Amino acid sequence: MRCATVNHVIEVNGLTKRYGAVTAVRDLTFAVRPGHVTGFLGPNGAGKSTTLRMILGLNRPTAGGATIDGRSFARHRAGLRHVGALLDAGDVHGGRTAAAHLYALARGNGLPRRRVADVLEEVGLAGVARRRIGGFSLGMRQRLGIAAALLGDPPVLLFDEPVNGLDPEGVRWIRGLFRRLAAEGRTVLVSSHLMSEMENTADHLVVIGRGELIAAESLAVFAARGTGASVSVRTPDSAELAAVLALEGAHVRPDGGDVLTVTGLGAARIGELAHQRRIMLHELAPRTASLEQAFMELTADRADYRADCRADVRVGDAR
Amino acid sequence: MTTARFRDLLAAEWIKLWSLRSTSWLIGLGTLAIVGFAANSSLDAYNSWPDFTEMEKARFTPLNEAFSALAASMLVIGAGSLGALTIVGEYTTGLIRTTLAAVPARHRVVAAKLTVTAAVTLATGTLISAGTFGVSQAILSGRGVAASLGDPGVLRVLAANALLAPVSALVGMGIGALVRHTAAAVVTVCAALVIVPTFFKPTVHQWQNDLFALVPFYVWRNCLHLPQLRDDPALPTVAGSWAVFALWPLAAAVATLIVVQRRDV
Repeated sequence: MRCATVNHVIEVNGLTKRYGAVTAVRDLTFAVRPGHVTGFLGPNGAGKSTTLRMILGLNRPTAGGATIDGRSFARHRAGLRHVGALLDAGDVHGGRTAAAHLYALARGNGLPRRRVADVLEEVGLAGVARRRIGGFSLGMRQRLGIAAALLGDPPVLLFDEPVNGLDPEGVRWIRGLFRRLAAEGRTVLVSSHLMSEMENTADHLVVIGRGELIAAESLAVFAARGTGASVSVRTPDSAELAAVLALEGAHVRPDGGDVLTVTGLGAARIGELAHQRRIMLHELAPRTASLEQAFMELTADRADYRADCRADVRVGDAR
Repeated sequence: MTTARFRDLLAAEWIKLWSLRSTSWLIGLGTLAIVGFAANSSLDAYNSWPDFTEMEKARFTPLNEAFSALAASMLVIGAGSLGALTIVGEYTTGLIRTTLAAVPARHRVVAAKLTVTAAVTLATGTLISAGTFGVSQAILSGRGVAASLGDPGVLRVLAANALLAPVSALVGMGIGALVRHTAAAVVTVCAALVIVPTFFKPTVHQWQNDLFALVPFYVWRNCLHLPQLRDDPALPTVAGSWAVFALWPLAAAVATLIVVQRRDV
């Protein structure tokens, strides 16, 4: 099996794509390293697909470029042996059978026919190999696209929104697959518009919004960029507790009824303070959604974002 | 690690072509229909031969019973559509992205597609040309008016009939690459290759004749398809006609290469 080396790096350098007056991707620079699952995050329309297509040479950049193994992808002859990609599960001809579709791809890359059976087995489509793709569900097409990406046993894999259309079992399977591929030392880049999808899968994140880089760092560092963890407190004496916590320097926001959302203090400290003042608590729950929150804040409209975000979550020092 | 050879790309395009059911249906039924026309038309002539006037008998061309202008129109539209669909099908389904992500060298993909399409349609055209000739002459020999391969011009006519298919297919592919829309491509193929040239007739204006002599279907009908040629400056020459048969598919191939190479997919 391959080992993690400095090879198989995806490098994106000043990548820019303009369609007339619209700039889809602006001066994007980041690197994706082997041995990790890297999440490629951004809201819909952020330019994720355009970036992936430019990495694969399908779209021509207006400026800048991307390399894989130090070479532009268009210079690789047998693409599947270097990069496996699932861009859109719909990028198939519905009139062909799954086996014929994969066999044509395999033959074009000089890969032996048995790879077709191997990858169909791997993605769980062996039973429908002779069926035409036109009758496949979206989930089956996603699996077929993943099978195509795995055909050439490539060291670099790109997946654009691969979780769409998969059932819960499929989602669990695909997460395991990504982690296994990364553990084998491959470079795995997975795009998504949902932070929650990445939370349990990715080690690193590349976050873009409106075609610009917002962050390229480890998941842990990214999570710390959010407004921080908060604690949800439910108490019949919410007004009194709010005053106490505010005195301690916490930021307290009433969240309707007898619920307070507290930031700046840990759950333990809040419990201690309540105990000292003999305030009864019905609920004391740390909130762990800070990753999602960080993502939402960072990808919100840049004008809004500048208006109400703290200095330490600024763009620019991402690299 | 071995790398993909051009042979592998040819194999891939071959698999893609035949793994669509429409390919076998189109080629199989099209061939049967055109050979069937030849048999039907020849039987007609065979049966009415005793009623023909001397003039009609003198003007009778057995090759026309084998492969009429109608049969040629069918072949041109069929082959042209086949060529167009091999590339339009990739674009309309999005398969082109999968194809080019697997083989980033676009010119090699296009070259393989052109080669396989040309080879398959040339084989089909040859089968149709030989089949229609064999069937019709077998029937007409009963009246002693069949043409034989050794007769002047017969081999040229048979070659031209066979070549109509690959010429149309490659032109169709060029149109498909430019238009990238199924219905629009098929309509353009029909219009450009058959319908518009059908209105072209030799005229007294030589510049018009010269212009018409640049159109494949026109030169087929007014030169290559005729066993005996009149020496008339208004009509296309054999050499010029062959050049048209060569240049159209060549130009279409170049256009396909350039368009696929340059466009984002």
